[in-house]
Amino acid sequence: MHGRIKIEGKGMTVAKTNKHPIGGLSDKLAQPALLLGALLTALAFVLAFTVASPVVGAKVNGVELIGNEMIGNQILLSQKIFYFHMPVAVVSMVALTGTAFFAIRFLMTRDALYDLKAKICTEIGLVFVICTMISGDLWTRFEWGVWWVWEPRLTTYLILTLMVIAYFILRAAVDEPERRATYASVFSLIMYVDVPISFFITRLIPSSVHPVIMRSDSGMSPDMLAPLMCALFGFCLIVFGLYRFRARTELIAVRVEAAKDTLDE
Amino acid sequence: MLSSMAIYAFLVLVVYGAALSQTGSQFDILQMSGGMLWALIVFTSLLGLNRSFSYEKEDGCLEGILLVPLDRSVVFLAKATSNFLFLLAVEIVVLPLYYFFFLTTTTPQPTWPLMLIPMLVGTIGIAGIGTLLSTITTSTRGKDVLLAVLFIPLVFPLLYACVSATTVVVAGGDIEGIFRNSVLLAVGYDLVMVLLSWVLYDYAVSA
Repeated sequence: MHGRIKIEGKGMTVAKTNKHPIGGLSDKLAQPALLLGALLTALAFVLAFTVASPVVGAKVNGVELIGNEMIGNQILLSQKIFYFHMPVAVVSMVALTGTAFFAIRFLMTRDALYDLKAKICTEIGLVFVICTMISGDLWTRFEWGVWWVWEPRLTTYLILTLMVIAYFILRAAVDEPERRATYASVFSLIMYVDVPISFFITRLIPSSVHPVIMRSDSGMSPDMLAPLMCALFGFCLIVFGLYRFRARTELIAVRVEAAKDTLDE
Repeated sequence: MLSSMAIYAFLVLVVYGAALSQTGSQFDILQMSGGMLWALIVFTSLLGLNRSFSYEKEDGCLEGILLVPLDRSVVFLAKATSNFLFLLAVEIVVLPLYYFFFLTTTTPQPTWPLMLIPMLVGTIGIAGIGTLLSTITTSTRGKDVLLAVLFIPLVFPLLYACVSATTVVVAGGDIEGIFRNSVLLAVGYDLVMVLLSWVLYDYAVSA
């Protein structure tokens, strides 16, 4: 068992061991993972514009007004957003799954280390959630010609965004570490209910404009699949790298605090 | 608490009166009535949920409740039931008032009594989720705002389902399809949320 940050009484006290899991195998892998992730996403960016064939706007029959321009049978350059939008969205859900996992671990063990990890996962989740919202909004603007629609996937993802933000507002509003950790864990578990809903809603409500992508016959040609998979794995590696770096920073900070306390005594 | 909730709901109706005063005669209020009714219920329940736990804070009442040699989930059920009853009482007062102020000139579909089903289901969900969240927010800074920040996104799917179910039975539409699906969605969300709140309540209330 790694060194634990124990919560005793009301305040958080750190067990005076120097055995926080810093510099282990996963920390050594973090840097290469981040680099490889960056390379893969850059490669996906290049592939998306070179290899992946352009998509003809299927919905445009004849001439339609899209973004104040009369457009005939257009080649949708904005479709390239998809190669980043979908991986980023999937990865944000992966990060939030991490939050839920560590929240359950915290409630089981009361070990502040898990609360720290849950917080880091949510932070990374927030970054990717915001990326998803921005890329998704660009998509709605340039593909559908509107800034916002109350479509099931968009709506459920919007409330997920709001809840991730609310998670941090909740954390900021509680002073005692133990209470903050418990409340945040409880809330993140309720929040997590929305993740599968948002993920599966395109299967539940087929009228949704979002296609079901994660299926065996998704209708994507290999040249489209290549950049998509590159981006997906790249972002997964980036999440892992960010998570380990962030955890390391936070754990070192905890250790510094512990050292200060020892010096004071 | 009941009277302040009822008066607050009445005031929201008055605000609706101002908001809709310029809409003209062509405006079909029946299509909007479900949404407006549920907005009213959500805001009123926010007020009630905020206050429901501040009473327990007085004179160390919560500590007394926690000393009861029972499972903590019983506390959750008791608290959620009382919140549910308060909300129901307010709804019973508000619904006729809402009809009186806005809907007397219209002819709702004969299926309108069916709206009591989404109302019941929605209120159960609001009381269940709200009880857990008000327990969490009662000991935080800026609790009134925080409850709204946590509560509204969480209750959104329920709200959406209840609005569509209510609108269909009041204004007409595909009752077989939309009404049944929306009510099923709301019931499913209720089940998941209330069960989850029930399980997690122990952690929240003893933190």
